[in-house]
Amino acid sequence: MAADPRDPSGLREQIVENQQTIDRLNRDLARKSNEVRVIQQISSEITSTLDLDEVLEIVLRALDGILGFAHSMILLKDLADDVLRVAATRGYAEPGAGARVRMGEGVIGVVGERRRMMRIGNIGASVRYLRSVRARMEAAGEVGPGEASASLPGLPDAQSQLALPLTVKDRLVGVLAVESRTPNAFDELDEVLLRIVGNQAATAIDNARTYQMVERLGRLKRFFSPQLAELIIRGGADDPLKTHRREVAVVFLDLRGFTAFAETSEPEELMGVLREYHAEMGKLILAHEGTLERFTGDGMMIFFNDPLPVPDAAERAVRMAVAMRERAAELAARWHRSGYDLDLGIGVAKGFATIGAIGFEGRWDYGAIGTVTNLAARLCSEAKPGQILISPRLLPELEQILEVEEVGLLAVKGLARPVRALNIVRLRNPA
Amino acid sequence: MIPDRVLEVLRGPAFLQIGTRDGALRPTHTAAVGAVVHDDRQTVTVFVPTPRAERVLRDLTANGRIALGFSLASHEAYQLKGRYVSSRPLDDADRARQEAYRATLMASALEAGYPEAIARPLTLGFAYTPGVAITFRAEEVFLQTPGPGAGTLLS
Amino acid sequence: MGILPDEIKPAMQGVIPSHVVTCARDGTPNASAISQVYYVDPDHVALSHQFFNKTKRNIEENPRAAVWVINPETFETWDLELEFVRSETKGPVFDVMEMQIEAIASMVGMKGIFKLRAADIFRVTAVTKTVGERLPLAEIPGLR
Repeated sequence: MAADPRDPSGLREQIVENQQTIDRLNRDLARKSNEVRVIQQISSEITSTLDLDEVLEIVLRALDGILGFAHSMILLKDLADDVLRVAATRGYAEPGAGARVRMGEGVIGVVGERRRMMRIGNIGASVRYLRSVRARMEAAGEVGPGEASASLPGLPDAQSQLALPLTVKDRLVGVLAVESRTPNAFDELDEVLLRIVGNQAATAIDNARTYQMVERLGRLKRFFSPQLAELIIRGGADDPLKTHRREVAVVFLDLRGFTAFAETSEPEELMGVLREYHAEMGKLILAHEGTLERFTGDGMMIFFNDPLPVPDAAERAVRMAVAMRERAAELAARWHRSGYDLDLGIGVAKGFATIGAIGFEGRWDYGAIGTVTNLAARLCSEAKPGQILISPRLLPELEQILEVEEVGLLAVKGLARPVRALNIVRLRNPA
Repeated sequence: MIPDRVLEVLRGPAFLQIGTRDGALRPTHTAAVGAVVHDDRQTVTVFVPTPRAERVLRDLTANGRIALGFSLASHEAYQLKGRYVSSRPLDDADRARQEAYRATLMASALEAGYPEAIARPLTLGFAYTPGVAITFRAEEVFLQTPGPGAGTLLS
Repeated sequence: MGILPDEIKPAMQGVIPSHVVTCARDGTPNASAISQVYYVDPDHVALSHQFFNKTKRNIEENPRAAVWVINPETFETWDLELEFVRSETKGPVFDVMEMQIEAIASMVGMKGIFKLRAADIFRVTAVTKTVGERLPLAEIPGLR
């Protein structure tokens, strides 16, 4: 230490040094009390909601407002794939939500893969250094030219990053990351603070996600088998409740004589017959992997090729229809002995329909809309007891397996020209 | 004897690092500010601020062994190994060389991608006067650029 | 209380390259740039080992090293005297260093190519802020 000639004892210097120490302690203390405020504020806000977006917003707002982390983002681990997806950001010109980061890619990807926090303050210098090493290796033929520069979300010129894995019971939920254009922007205290926020965020995010999932699962299970509902939730199948357009084979069926029967029979008798009929038809729907769209008393609408795509929708539809006709004939024989005059009629058609959730909040249904459903319904209503009426559009692909007879022309709502109706006499090679 | 490219890098602007050691083989690092290569392409003079020169000279007068590492901000780097020849105080011409050296060093740091907030204080913050000019004779030249071939004897 | 003061930590984040001098058994010194000196604890630092080089060979022959680091905020420089302790290929210190190197490597298409081979742990036997090497920030032209 160079002695100051005006202050040989170095007293002035000592005072300055003491003041600096006091300032530093005060700063540390201010941050420490911030720590407590963060815990209080975040925990009370975060537990007040189960809305995922709101949880993310609360976390990032607190990081910015209370702790001064101006650029932050939360990535959530994709439920189906091993990737992280940007779910919320704060402090960026572009929100960037939805951007993907593969595990092991960049600071965030490595943090996700290793499930360990990383603090790095020399990104620019490290990248410059490694580029120079790479250039040498390229020149020596040890690596191929060009770099697979993954485009990572965040500041393109970030110098410092602090990224924390969000885990719940060792399960990775996502990654919380803050960054800065200043080198060495974060220190050990920042690690401590981010960890506090991260622990609370991980639990809140997981709860919100679980809630969201349970809600969705419940909705899906009303329409689909539990297995399919799970598959959809885990991302293995598209959400069928999202509106989409697809070619489907539609089967309509109902009982001839049901209205008269319903008016004259006792309620117990009526419900007994319906239950038996529904149970038997239900088994055949499951066996052929059809999707039951709706019941209306004695009527049912089933379609094929949605939500699970199948290559042979039309064939499945007619095979199910024929099996239903046979089973219904056995039931009808018994009903006739009890004095009930009931017989099954079926209509089958194929075409494009718009499919998705129809209804309003609190009462959503999964439905298909299109001329094809009108046509199948119309064919069904025209069918005489024991008939399966199909539209000619099914014929080309099913000629090999069907023996049909002409029934006549039908006018159908939504179609300008009348449609030929054909009755399935029998299957040429029953399955 | 020093290859052309190495000479270019040494003349600068390069970051210069002197390595010496004492009788117990304890190494010492000292940053140098500016270098001059003599006409024989083998004798090199580097400049060290006086407060830092003492320990270098103590080692050099005892055993004469010196290493001079030098690197561009782009990481291209070389190293000379040699023996101590002499030392003298800086003259005005040396100081002028050091001024020029520091200015170009900053330009090269900026060019290599250092932010201005680092390049300026890093390069212009090297003290250079009063200083000592230390001369040595290079015996070996090595490639030091990180990556394959680092450590190769060039001459 | 260890030997390393807290204020040296910013100099150990690799923002500005550091330098290391070692010495072979035959007495030949070696001066080399290193991208980062890693802070381990108040008495230890680590150097990354990616390529086998003269520094590594010298350390095997003679476990002493002199390291120079610079604080990228104050631009003060420090001399450290080190003594080699051991080379680690797993454990928390290795993991921290390896994660950082892997993250950067993946950014420049070097994932799996540029890897940390070992974390070389050194005990710090002396540390001094240099005197007479750096100008006070106030004397540097063009700084705010």
